[in-house]
Amino acid sequence: MFYTPKKAIHSRISRRRFLELGGAGATMLGTGSLAVGLNSTIMASRVSAQSSDEAKWKQFAGSKLVFLSENTPPSFAIREKLTAFYDLTGITVEILTDDLPVVQQKAGIDLRSGTADYVLQYSQDKPIGAPFADFYADMTPMFGDETLPQDPEGYGDDVWFDNFLTACGRFYDGNRVMALPYDAAIACTFYRKDIFEANTKDFEAEYGYRLEYTNDTTWQNVLDFATFFKKAKEAGKDVPYGYAQHQGSFAWTTQLDIQRMCFANGRWIDYAIDDKLGSKTPGATNWGDEQSVLILEKFKALADVSHPDNLANGTLELNTVYQSGNIAMQVQYHEFAASVEDEGTSLAAGGKTGYAPCPKGAPDWIKNGGEAVNGTNCGIGGISINANADEALQRAAYIFAQWSTSADNQYEVLKGLGGTPTRKSVLARPEVVAAGQRPSTMPNALTFDPVYNFGIKDPNFTLGPKIPKANEYHSIIASTTQRMLSGELDAAATGAELKAQLDELNAG
Amino acid sequence: MSQTLSLSQTTLDAVDRFRARKVSVEVEARPLSAELPTPTSFNPAARKAYYFYLMAPAIALLAFISLYPFFWLIVMAFQKGDMGAVEWVGFKNFTDLASDGRFLSGWVLLFKYSAMCLFLQVGIGVLLAVIVNGSRYEKFLVTALLMPMMMAPAVAGLLWLFLYNGTFGWYHWIFQSLGILETGSILSSAKTSMYALVLVDVWQWTPLITLIALAGLKRVPRDQMEANMVDGASPARNFFAIVMPNLYPVLLIAVLLRFMDNFRFIDHILVLTGGGPANSTKILPIYLFEVAFKFFDLGRGAAIALVLLVVTIILGKILVGVFDRPTSGGR
Repeated sequence: MFYTPKKAIHSRISRRRFLELGGAGATMLGTGSLAVGLNSTIMASRVSAQSSDEAKWKQFAGSKLVFLSENTPPSFAIREKLTAFYDLTGITVEILTDDLPVVQQKAGIDLRSGTADYVLQYSQDKPIGAPFADFYADMTPMFGDETLPQDPEGYGDDVWFDNFLTACGRFYDGNRVMALPYDAAIACTFYRKDIFEANTKDFEAEYGYRLEYTNDTTWQNVLDFATFFKKAKEAGKDVPYGYAQHQGSFAWTTQLDIQRMCFANGRWIDYAIDDKLGSKTPGATNWGDEQSVLILEKFKALADVSHPDNLANGTLELNTVYQSGNIAMQVQYHEFAASVEDEGTSLAAGGKTGYAPCPKGAPDWIKNGGEAVNGTNCGIGGISINANADEALQRAAYIFAQWSTSADNQYEVLKGLGGTPTRKSVLARPEVVAAGQRPSTMPNALTFDPVYNFGIKDPNFTLGPKIPKANEYHSIIASTTQRMLSGELDAAATGAELKAQLDELNAG
Repeated sequence: MSQTLSLSQTTLDAVDRFRARKVSVEVEARPLSAELPTPTSFNPAARKAYYFYLMAPAIALLAFISLYPFFWLIVMAFQKGDMGAVEWVGFKNFTDLASDGRFLSGWVLLFKYSAMCLFLQVGIGVLLAVIVNGSRYEKFLVTALLMPMMMAPAVAGLLWLFLYNGTFGWYHWIFQSLGILETGSILSSAKTSMYALVLVDVWQWTPLITLIALAGLKRVPRDQMEANMVDGASPARNFFAIVMPNLYPVLLIAVLLRFMDNFRFIDHILVLTGGGPANSTKILPIYLFEVAFKFFDLGRGAAIALVLLVVTIILGKILVGVFDRPTSGGR
């Protein structure tokens, strides 16, 4: 093909030689890549890490972590701060966010298939933590490890809000901690002060007491409020519905909705187990007993006078109904205060909404001899480390986990995007204390008093059963309760149906 | 002598082939009911192995991405437990399904949902095809009709979720204004939520039936229609005696496609109701999704999937058999 001069000195490479050279080249390239890769992944030494604070932070420089999270404010805010984290540690972090059900599916597949594509995971207490607890790394050996950077406040129960660490971090065994509290959604009452005030005379004339909401307002009072508003609406008065439930398609929040009322009345719980730690063998359920059947009856009565879209309203839709002025009151998660106080999108903004603890149990509704409390439940989102990852990667992940839950970061998330802090020290900051009063620059802070100082504390706090089959349990509770609300089952039949299905679930 | 005979025979064959080609062009231009012989090729047939070699890469790829997971699914259906830590349980996953109320009601709801969707889609689809066929605005109408089909089912679900919303939904307002709904939205009642899903499916997939039926209408032999009209048949009689029997083969494809889609497409249902309220829309594929990816009971999920697959195949066969039956006006 090409011109070759006569008597030119050149050698011809045989096919075998060509393959040999190619093979050698490929081997060298592979070895080089491996060396570079290993160097950029984990080549840390614990001894050298102890030498200085900077060495502790930098010991895993070059490694990469993927954090799978729900699309909640902290993850968006922390994503904006990843450059600062990289500068501090040299660790690259990628944060993937999605809706909770998708996170649940991806996390489940990753954990159960023995891989660690997502080294860090957002583990919501019951939907993710309870079924996958055994697949997360125990963080207790890393707390106080001198070769790792540590938060100056520490990680004991006392630095987090009451019950937070146990809710999201401890599963079936009190000695292990699987997650650090990352964010929180605590139930509290949102009510329209202006609407309550405008209708209080008419209400008082009919019911004999004022239409107002206090820490002692009971579920019986809520039933009265809802009945009053529904009657007024049907009579053609320009008023919203009084109340609405979370009975839409998201099974977990649907279950939480009825659980609040059950716990408020006699501190009734589903199983005779430690409500906070949970159990892998919960035994027979309490559903179907006299107390639960009575509460089911009351729940149905409340549904009958609530907003007619109850069965289509999940938590988000319910908040839209409230923001659009179609209900006078809702029990909602405190993280929604930021959207309710947004004057651009909410008719309930501008000082019209009051925040208070969840309703209290009514003495007449208690048959089990228990106490009437302001039953408050929650979803505490933790940040967990995938136990399938190798030890060095787990330690690198720990550095991110403790950094992302630090008080400074939580304060900035609260200030910027409306986060929900989990460390007590954040609430003590003067700016946050000031934001607890109107006009507030941090609307979520308006809920902090009823939530952190009242609802989340014992004896009001309930978590609900942490059991390995938590998601199927939620689904059964939601669909069976919905059948009752649709008129397909009465309260007694609902209780019996729940007992049969749940006992079969835990036996199987 | 024999060589002369052989040559003239070849010449005659070649002439026949050219005739056949000429006729086939006429068939394309104006369909005739008579089936014509397929022209034979001048080239010798290739060995079967040749075709196999050509297909081998595709078969290998298919086996890797499809057959391997399928066989793994079968194995999982006989196991209980997690990925990695499993226990062989024989047919227990299958026998347990017989007493699983949600599995059984899932079947009932699936048949109800599929039947409503198919009935409405075939009826409306064929009607639209007849209206569009030969219309002055045919091209525009076909393009307009195809638009819903181009939307991802999950996006269609979100769109309809907003339209049905009880607070700001436009369709909710229309339904209430027409007196179809009372105070609650269509998705908030166990009595109406299934119809809401059927409406979305009909909106999105009727155009597919229309498109296929329209293609079928173009192929209806005119000679048969003209002969029928000469015999004094009315347009309606012509439609049922000539057009419909000729549409059956294409409708079979359309119905089969939609039937199988209804057994596996759950995107818009997940977005709109997630199977609720009160399990009223929890058709079997939704329950399967829950069991496998929410409850992570992969053995039970695999067993449900296998049963669903077998039933789909059997029903598909039955459907083909029904449509294949000779009809008086057709084949």
